[in-house]
Amino acid sequence: MAEIRIKNLHKEFGVGEDKVVALEDVNLDITGHSFVSIVGPSGCGKSTLLNILTGIETPTSGTVEITSDGHVAAPGYVFQAARLLPWRTVTDNLLFVQDDRSDATRERCRRYLEMVQLGDKGDKFPGELSGGMQQRVGIARAFSIEPDVLFMDEPFSHLDAITARALRRELHHMWDETKKMVVFVTHDVGEAVELSNRILVFAKGGRLEDDIQIDLPFPRDPADDEVAVAKAHVLRKFEELDLLAS
Amino acid sequence: MTTTDTHTAVDGAAPAQRVTEEDLARQARRKELTSRWFWRILSYVAVLTVWEFALLDIFSFLRGSPLDPKLLPGPSEVVATFFEIWGEGTMPAAFQATLTRIAVGFGLSFLIGAMIGILMQSKWFEGFFKDAVLISLSAPGLIWVLITAIIFGNRPLGPTIAIILTTFALVTVNVSEGIRALPKELLDMAKSFRVSVLKRNRQIVIPHLAPYLFTGLRFGFSIAWKVTVLTEVFSSSEGIGFEMRISAVLFDMSEFLTWILAFFFFALFLEKVVLEAIERRYFRWRQAVTAT
Ligand SMILES: Nc1ncnc2c1ncn2[C@@H]1O[C@H](COP(=O)(O)OP(=O)(O)O)[C@@H](O)[C@H]1O
Ligand SMILES: [Mg+2]
Repeated sequence: MAEIRIKNLHKEFGVGEDKVVALEDVNLDITGHSFVSIVGPSGCGKSTLLNILTGIETPTSGTVEITSDGHVAAPGYVFQAARLLPWRTVTDNLLFVQDDRSDATRERCRRYLEMVQLGDKGDKFPGELSGGMQQRVGIARAFSIEPDVLFMDEPFSHLDAITARALRRELHHMWDETKKMVVFVTHDVGEAVELSNRILVFAKGGRLEDDIQIDLPFPRDPADDEVAVAKAHVLRKFEELDLLAS
Repeated sequence: MTTTDTHTAVDGAAPAQRVTEEDLARQARRKELTSRWFWRILSYVAVLTVWEFALLDIFSFLRGSPLDPKLLPGPSEVVATFFEIWGEGTMPAAFQATLTRIAVGFGLSFLIGAMIGILMQSKWFEGFFKDAVLISLSAPGLIWVLITAIIFGNRPLGPTIAIILTTFALVTVNVSEGIRALPKELLDMAKSFRVSVLKRNRQIVIPHLAPYLFTGLRFGFSIAWKVTVLTEVFSSSEGIGFEMRISAVLFDMSEFLTWILAFFFFALFLEKVVLEAIERRYFRWRQAVTAT
């Protein structure tokens, strides 16, 4: 079981006049089989938090710890843009993040490409695919290392509604099946309510403002009364925090 | 290339299909290509014909006095001279001398230029090298050729230094630009997936820099061979430029033109065939990007 422990986390960029506080005194524990969504206006430090958790950025002060059964957890990261190596084929892009190139590994990569409906595109270069397909390769890449924790930064925001819906269902399915932890950034409250059992609300200046549990059964239908009520609840929190204006 | 392959496959699979829009587009493209080649070849035929049959008279008229035919041999004579010189066996030796000079000079220039490009990522070194790079880019190569000829005479170091001074900046500029454009998002991605630093360098940094290095190589080479031949014309005892000087001194226009043409075609072959083949082979992904 994966665990994330964040203590007094503070992150700022730049110095003097240019100083920007991206995260301010964040304290947070996430444990077990959670699907946690992080919502908030743009610029409130959501991506920065994910970058710190995945080791791309280092905290200015405070600590973060991600473990899985006592050892350091392996993170998978899906970015807002696909971030594929343009000079490698789709298959090689998946192999790039693997520890080995054994037959089992190749087979696993092929399986996850099929999951995102790109089983026949393995030999293409990213430049030959549409933006939506590229994003799906990015998703397959993160799944293919079978991470202890899956981090996703607005992964579906550039996709068309139908593809996004299918992938959301697939994501939920995977989370349900593998019992892995997912930390999911989105600006779409409906999406957050549909997928997560916990929603963290961030405000400008990088403060964690609210921590909402949603204990409804899955799958959740947006038209369902209880789901609509939960969504309204989160939106009301937004209003109280004056986050909707921005 | 790939597109033609798929086209033929489609044609083979369904020969009795109606004429599609794609077929029409392909026909139009083929026609356009044919006519472009027609005009291109026509220009060669026209120039060679005028040169063979009329140029002597034209120049004589412009000079106001008849020109000695030995000073302006026609293409047929030049071709004959080519085979004569080829038979004597001096050509491979001359080519070898010149090519060795280019390889050594430009090889060193490439290393030095790349190193300066890397150093220039620091503000201080950028200030230090900036003007030197600008001067090398803008000063005509002939200046360095003359200076090195005066200082080094026919010592082999002269051409090497002339090549370095005229081409290092092209490599520097490209390497610098490549480093500045390093894809941070890709490097971050690799870091988050715990990809080792060695693998990040091998699979992200180097492939990213390769097209920049290759551009430096192509432009640098196109200058390097001209400068090399020039240095040989002024100060050298072997190589193609040297042979040109000898035939010019002897007023043997036919031989002079033969050497020029031989080298011109050789350089054209290297630039158009060899370098472009390398480009097609190693930068296929870039064509994929431009195609969409
Ligand atoms: N590398 C960086 N350098 C300077 N400022 C940054 C950098 N990354 C993020 N920031 C700043 O930190 C704040 C939070 O950014 P980010 O985490 O991207 O917000 P979000 O993902 O919630 O939209 C913003 O004000 C942004 O301008
Ligand atoms: Mg963001």
